[in-house]
Formats: sequence, C-alpha cells, structure tokens
Amino acid sequence: MTDQSSTTPTTRARLRVDPIACDGIGMCAHTAPGLITLDRWGFPLLAGDSVENADGDDLRELTTAAAACPRRALFIERSR
Amino acid sequence: MNLAVTPTSAKATAILNHVVYHPLHGPGLAWAETAQTLQHHLAQYGQRENWTGRLPALLARLANSALTGRGGAHFPAARKWHAVATAGSAPALVANGAEGEPWSAKDATVLQLRPHLVLDGLAAAAESLEAADVVIWLAAEATLTIHAVHTALVERSAAQLGDPPIRVVTAPHHYLSGESSSIVNALTTGVALPAFQRQPAAIAGIHSRPTLVQNVETLARIGLLARPAEITAPAQLVTVVSQAGRFVTEAHPSQTISDMVTAANTKFALPELSHAPPQAVLLGGFGGAWLPWTEAAGLPLQEFTLRQGGHSLGAGVIALLPQHSCGLRQTSSIMNFMAESSARQCGPCTFGLPQLADLFDKLASARINRRSLRKLDQTLALVAGRGACHHPDGAVRLAASASVAFAADIDSHRRRGRCLNGPGRPWLAVPRGGVR
Repeated sequence: MTDQSSTTPTTRARLRVDPIACDGIGMCAHTAPGLITLDRWGFPLLAGDSVENADGDDLRELTTAAAACPRRALFIERSR
Repeated sequence: MNLAVTPTSAKATAILNHVVYHPLHGPGLAWAETAQTLQHHLAQYGQRENWTGRLPALLARLANSALTGRGGAHFPAARKWHAVATAGSAPALVANGAEGEPWSAKDATVLQLRPHLVLDGLAAAAESLEAADVVIWLAAEATLTIHAVHTALVERSAAQLGDPPIRVVTAPHHYLSGESSSIVNALTTGVALPAFQRQPAAIAGIHSRPTLVQNVETLARIGLLARPAEITAPAQLVTVVSQAGRFVTEAHPSQTISDMVTAANTKFALPELSHAPPQAVLLGGFGGAWLPWTEAAGLPLQEFTLRQGGHSLGAGVIALLPQHSCGLRQTSSIMNFMAESSARQCGPCTFGLPQLADLFDKLASARINRRSLRKLDQTLALVAGRGACHHPDGAVRLAASASVAFAADIDSHRRRGRCLNGPGRPWLAVPRGGVR
C-alpha cells in the first residue's frame, strides 16, 4: 500500500465557459461531444462534473476542447 | 457648535424611526422629508471613531454583529472585507447607491435622509482599508439623491471632518446599473453592463485592483457600528409596495412581514388590505419570490432565518397583491420587464428570458396547455445559472415561485380558460425595461 502523503497532490480540473465571450458557435461540442452538448439555442452545456485526480490524458482532453473555441470562451479551472 | 453631545441610546442604533413614503414610480423621492444635517446627525449618533490603522478591530465588530450586505445577496460583510484586505494594497471602494430594483426605495431613503451615516461608514472603510479610490455610484436620474449626497459632502468638508477624497459618479439608470460587476466594468471601461469575472471583484476589480463594492444601506449600518455604542443583530430597511405608493420602514430581526405591512397601513390606508388580508406578497424584488399571504405574514425579516426556510429578503421589497387580482398577470408583466432588461450578452439569458416571458403571457391570458407548461419547466432548467450575472436566475426564481403560489390559478386558466380572480391589468404597474 503506497503512502498517500508522499504522492503528488490531487488536482481537480473542470471545464468552464465565459458566457459573455461565447457566441454559440458550437466547435466545442463538435470537438468533444462526450464533454459538451448544445442546448436548444446552440449554447454549451458542460458535463459539470470536475475530473478528480486529473492526469495527463484527462487534461489533454479538456485542453483540446477549450482550444477548439474560436472565441476562447472555454477555460480550465483547476483546484486542489 | 457643540459637537460633544451624548446621543440618546435608542435612536443612536436605528436608521429610521418612522415610515417614509415615496410615490410608486420613478427614482425614490422621500416625500415631505428633509435630510438630516451634520449637526443633527452628530446630536443623534455622536462622533464616529477614526479607523486608520485599526482594521482588525473594525473587522471584529463586523463579524460580531454578523452584518450582511444589503444589496440583495446578503453576503457577510466581514468576509468580503477580509478578502479585499488580503488581496493586496490600496483597494478601490464603491458605495453602491444606484438602486436598480425599480420598486425599491430604501437606498434613496437612506441617502436622502441619513447621508451622514452612509458617509461615516464609507470613511471608516476607506480609513481602515487604506483605500486609494473612493467612489459613490448613483443613478443619473436620481436628482434628489444626488443633491442630498453633494450637500452632505459640502457640509462635511466645511466642518473639516477629515474624510478621504470621495468622487461621485453617475450613470443612466437601468435594472443592472447596480449590479456589482456592471459597476466595476463601468469604472474600468465605461460600459455599465455585467462582466464575466474569473476572479471576484474583491481580489481583482476596477483596473484589476482589489475592489470593495458595498450597498449604501450596508455602509449606513457600518456607520452605526463604527461608533462606541455596541450594536448586535442589525436591522433591515424594507420597502412595502402598494398601489398607494412605496413605504420604507426599518425592520428589527424579530419583526415580521405582517408587522411591516401594518406599519405602512398605519401611515396610509392600503387598498390591498381594505376588505381582506392580501392574497400574496412578492418578497425581494423582481427577481424575488411570490409567497401566499398565509405563508408570508409570520416570516421574520432576518436573512439567516429566511434562508433556513428557503426564502430570501433580496433587495428588501415587500410588494402586495390583493385578493381578486391575477398573480399570473402581474408576473407576466414583470417577466416582460426582465426579458427587456437583459444585457443580451449571454445566450441562455438572451434567448431564454423572452421565451419565458412569452410562456407567461400565455399563462396570464389563459391560452395555456399542458405542453406549454412542460416547456416552461424545461426552459427554466435551461436558463438558471448559465449567465455571467444573476439576472436570469432572478427571472427563473420569480417564474418558479409564481407556478407554485398561483398553482390554482394556473389550473383554472388551463381547464376553464378563465381566472379565479378578476380579469384585466396587472395590479401594480411595471416600468419598461431595457439596458441599451
């Protein structure tokens, strides 16, 4: 059993949208349909749950979704 | 003049000792009342303390009194101040007197009648926090309020009270002109519309400087706290709204909604009470919640207690709906205002609020069917929490509470195509909205 206190601290990562910057273009949902769907007006509905113990693959998925936005309206919020 | 006068204890801890009347429409205008002069202010409340270099002591008083903000969100003042103080040096300080809520007149009352209490609180904040910029934010149309503030500033300057430099900034009034991020945005970029804040204003506000935005009533309470007299459990100013006008009065924590309505009724016989108790009250403001009178009457005007029951004092508005008036019609007129007042910066608000207003128009005119009721529920869920500011959340709260409080009317409108109550116009006229 590994000693938890000696491993890297847990990182929680969450995808968030700036609703003012967002113009409902929808590239985010097109790029990452597992993470983002669009409402009846074309605006993003985010999965909402933060990814616990976000590792490299998780963060790459979130970063790709955020990078898809032509308005740079998506960002990753990190917390410990 | 002799300034060393001991204040009378009861009056020294209250802002108001009577009911103040304002006409129903327009910016607050305290009728047949005059501003308290500096001399009378000092006679009633005594001298305030100087708070330079004494932030921990003032924070302790804020914490002990459990003072919460009176702008609508009721956030603990001590916590907000602590965030600003630890965020960096030379913060900006804004006294928010814009009073965006159309039916509220409490901020106009405190600025027009007790400006020196507000300015004392503002000075205490500026001294203790070592503010680099101190602003009073007012609506440009509120001429009486602006005059009262300027007169008070001139009095204090002449008396050499040692206030920090204070600048008065005015902007055209709209529903969101008193919204916290709109104020920070206006003072940074000149645009008085909400901004998406990745960090709260307390940490990075005007020109990225730590910024404290505090409602003028909150500052008046701080003005009271910043004095030797101990104050626990601060009171609340409320605006009772009737077709007869608006009545601002001070509610102590043990007093109820019914007590405040009675106080207003004593000043002027309210038509909503003429033959029977009111049907319902709208508590908070346009973004507040409808409550049937039976549920509302006994509620104490204390935010902590209200929250435990799932309620909130909001902007302190208590609007009355009489028996035989259609609450759905009243709600429909407010929902139209809320849609018109969107800043139209966020998709769910821009598209959702007009759809909610349309659905309520249908509800009010008895053209509603089950499918529309389902669409109402779905639309409410799609709008809540998805704007940069809380405007859409208020619209959702209002609509959801109307669905519950006026459920019997909805049923009658749907099944029988007519109202349980009278047909016709909304009981209380709602102004036109629009921010740009």
